[in-house]
Amino acid sequence: MREAAQADARREFEERLAECGPLAFRVACGVLRNTADAEDVAQEALLRAYQSFERLRDRNRFRGWLVRISFRLALDRLRSAKRRERRDALWSQPAELPPPATAEDVAASNQFQGRLERALQELPDKLRLVLLLSATEGHTLEEIACMLSVPLGTVKSRIFIARKKLAEKLRCYANTIKTR
Amino acid sequence: MLCEHYKDALIEAAASGAAPSGELREHLAECTSCRAVFGQEQSLFAAIDTGLHAAANAEIPPSLLPGVRARLDEVGTPRFRWVQPLVFASTGLALGLVVFVMAWPHLAGREEMAKKGPALASMPMNANREGTSPESTQMTAVPVKHTHASRNSTQSDSAASSNPEVLVPPDERDGLALLVASLNEHRDLAAALLARVPDNEDSLISVDRLHIDALEIKPLEGRETETLDSAGEKH
Repeated sequence: MREAAQADARREFEERLAECGPLAFRVACGVLRNTADAEDVAQEALLRAYQSFERLRDRNRFRGWLVRISFRLALDRLRSAKRRERRDALWSQPAELPPPATAEDVAASNQFQGRLERALQELPDKLRLVLLLSATEGHTLEEIACMLSVPLGTVKSRIFIARKKLAEKLRCYANTIKTR
Repeated sequence: MLCEHYKDALIEAAASGAAPSGELREHLAECTSCRAVFGQEQSLFAAIDTGLHAAANAEIPPSLLPGVRARLDEVGTPRFRWVQPLVFASTGLALGLVVFVMAWPHLAGREEMAKKGPALASMPMNANREGTSPESTQMTAVPVKHTHASRNSTQSDSAASSNPEVLVPPDERDGLALLVASLNEHRDLAAALLARVPDNEDSLISVDRLHIDALEIKPLEGRETETLDSAGEKH
């Protein structure tokens, strides 16, 4: 009896794991911009979700719940990494210099992508999560609203504000933009 | 001045992705520079969207799901996590019970010996009371060594338990050894000490009446010649 219940729980989670695991990874990757760190974070998020799976009454909300766990863990990881970087920079002499530019580095598209990702990091968390979800796996605005349990209008306004903020930060680089 | 008026509307139209409408559309149709700016803004937002799409849709590493499954196997199932501590607790309790049951006879023996502590030294002599000869009376004092080895060893305990043990403070050991030696030398004394105590030892001690003979008064020898004169002086 007990073993059967355990097997059911595990099976149910496995189904959701296959469906939502990639999303957890992508959300983490959108924050961290590092595949290895994002994989670590996604695994941790899925493990936590599994450990608290019994407390999730509405299993249809699993996707949004997992996204929030993954996003929060990724932010924590990013902040601790930044603290570590600052500490290392403080101790290392001389101060870190930017790497020398190469032909690839100066390519406009790469520059823009790097600046975009940096600008993305500077967005407020709420705006960043909505923007990432809107760009991930082709989620519709309704799906994002459902995932985050916020009204559709809130999702629309957050995306609009987020894009405008990004554009403000990147406008000065507009001459390097190459349409892709 | 006129173009500056349309600047915000132009950016918002580009940000929303919707086609310009109304007054803005008419202005864009007339103003080449605003049309160029609008094109740049559209390109900017298109680049942002493309960059976002690239950043947000990273390729899934093949090790992701197997890694998660492996970690799930490690942590076990979540619903019955309370079972594990319960199993540990009950196992510990059962083990404790088994140890107690196994150690009980030994502990009980020790307690009994502790109760009989004062009589331990005379255990062989109790056998004498039952009728054995006084010659077989023997006292054995086993000094207790307070070492961990002897304390923890059940074998040595069980071996020592066959002989009476007397716990003697260090400063009294010499005295006890002397007593034992003297009792072994004077076995009659030991037998007398170990003689059976009468059953009515707790009753009042009855003392036989002393028999006193009648007093006989005699004059002291050599006192007949002594006389007293009138003056009372001795001659």
